[in-house]
Amino acid sequence: MAELTRIVLAGEGGQGVQTVAEILAEAANEEGKQALYIPNFGVEQRGGVSVAYVQISDRQIGAPKFQTGDIVIALSDRAVHRTQKYVGPQTTFVYDSTIQGLEGELPENAGEVLPIPAVEVAKKEFHPRVFNIIILGAVVGASGVITLEQAKAAVEKRLGYKFTKQPELRDLNFRALERGAGMAVRRAG
Amino acid sequence: MSQKVISAEKRAFMTGNEVVAWAALAAGAEIMYGYPITPQNEIMHYWTRLAPKYGRSFLQTEDELSAGFTTAGGVMAGRKAFTATSGPGNTLMQEPMSMAEMMRLPTVVVVQQRGGPSTATVIYSQQEVTLTTIGGNGEGMRIVYSTATHQELFDYTIKAFNAAWKYRFPTFVLGDGYQAKMREPLTIYDPAERGIGMVPPEPFVGKEGIPGEDRPPAQYRNTFNLEEELYEKVMADVSEYEKIAPEVAEFQADGTEDADLVLVCHGVVFRAVREAVAKLREQGRKVGYFRPVTLRPLPVRQLREMVGKAKKILLVESAYGQLARLFKEAAYGSGTEILTLFRPGLGITAGEVEAKVKEILT
Repeated sequence: MAELTRIVLAGEGGQGVQTVAEILAEAANEEGKQALYIPNFGVEQRGGVSVAYVQISDRQIGAPKFQTGDIVIALSDRAVHRTQKYVGPQTTFVYDSTIQGLEGELPENAGEVLPIPAVEVAKKEFHPRVFNIIILGAVVGASGVITLEQAKAAVEKRLGYKFTKQPELRDLNFRALERGAGMAVRRAG
Repeated sequence: MSQKVISAEKRAFMTGNEVVAWAALAAGAEIMYGYPITPQNEIMHYWTRLAPKYGRSFLQTEDELSAGFTTAGGVMAGRKAFTATSGPGNTLMQEPMSMAEMMRLPTVVVVQQRGGPSTATVIYSQQEVTLTTIGGNGEGMRIVYSTATHQELFDYTIKAFNAAWKYRFPTFVLGDGYQAKMREPLTIYDPAERGIGMVPPEPFVGKEGIPGEDRPPAQYRNTFNLEEELYEKVMADVSEYEKIAPEVAEFQADGTEDADLVLVCHGVVFRAVREAVAKLREQGRKVGYFRPVTLRPLPVRQLREMVGKAKKILLVESAYGQLARLFKEAAYGSGTEILTLFRPGLGITAGEVEAKVKEILT
């Protein structure tokens, strides 16, 4: 893993990007890494693009926000527009390929562009409610900041109380996590 | 009251607002008075959740004027009291804090700066420096700590209670919306375990004994009839403030001795500056940083020494020159060139700082 990984997650309110960012940062912290997570927030209570900034490092982390992300994940058409400015030649840009009408809208300067059919997979293979877990898997797959096992432990910590009541949910979430990780494997590795 | 809040030192991962609530508990704060405003709301939320478990209290007031005055009342009754606010709330807070300054009350106020002027943004800025350091109709006889990390937010919130009760000047912890909302790791601890003694509070009114015989009379005035009387009172406070200033003032500096350029900043912007300076040093550039932790009082002697040696200064802040005004006053008389990177209400990244330095040092 690189010394410092910068991740931008963006989507519509309700898609769970802040939850994914929080689970990821907490999991990294649990592993003894330095982690910093900051949500964007404004006066609006609902609507608007929700953006989360996560930095994970072995060393002390600087400013909470940054100019260019190593991994930028956009989960809606508005999020694709909103996150263009965080993309640079070293950036892996991940977007949901279910989004229509993105011809010519994807960042041309990205190091790599990874389409992932997360919405479709969530709907057809799992359940729409595990969409954010698929995304967490994709972030883990693309960034490698934590291992899949560590991600599972973080999900267990977060949703364990639900799993106790409905054990089949554990399997559903873990499979969604693995599926997400498998979708976002970078060419460069 | 004696119940331990944090039994053993532990690593935590939480928002800055939560950090403040834990630090106030650990410092032995007995009551918070507050009125909601973003981005400090969660200080109140966490406090109201935690306080009852440890026998502490909370009072929500009708506005920030009231929150400030009740905090003043709380300390006069001998309670370690505090409040927290931001932006337009900080504007209202100036009236009660002026009274605290006049009556030498050990109030503690946590400010999480948002954009200004007026309602502006609920997000972030460093635009409440002037207000917090020298706001109000007085001489700015206050202590202001500007934090950069969650660890400092915890450490200096505890310290603020001690500084307030020791020196009896209104004391502020100056954070911002980024620090309020972000999560990062820190170590929380019980001050006693670290050998930090907490200054005990004592009531200002209702004391034992006959006033004038057993003890000095408790005269806490904010109204004066004569110019001369007021002059004497203000000058006595100024002289005491100037006397304690060198022991209160804190700063952090590195690489300033041989620097072609010294970057000056405070608060969360220091994180970007430290990162940029480390990178520039790796590239062989002679740059350093000087960061006052206390914005009131400033570390004037060390600041003037640094300016005396520096070839150039670059002031970096998320405001249009609020730190710069304080800095230039302290540095007055030096011929060192002062350059600026002002981004009012906007976050500053290490990349921007690095680019600006390279532009200057070409």
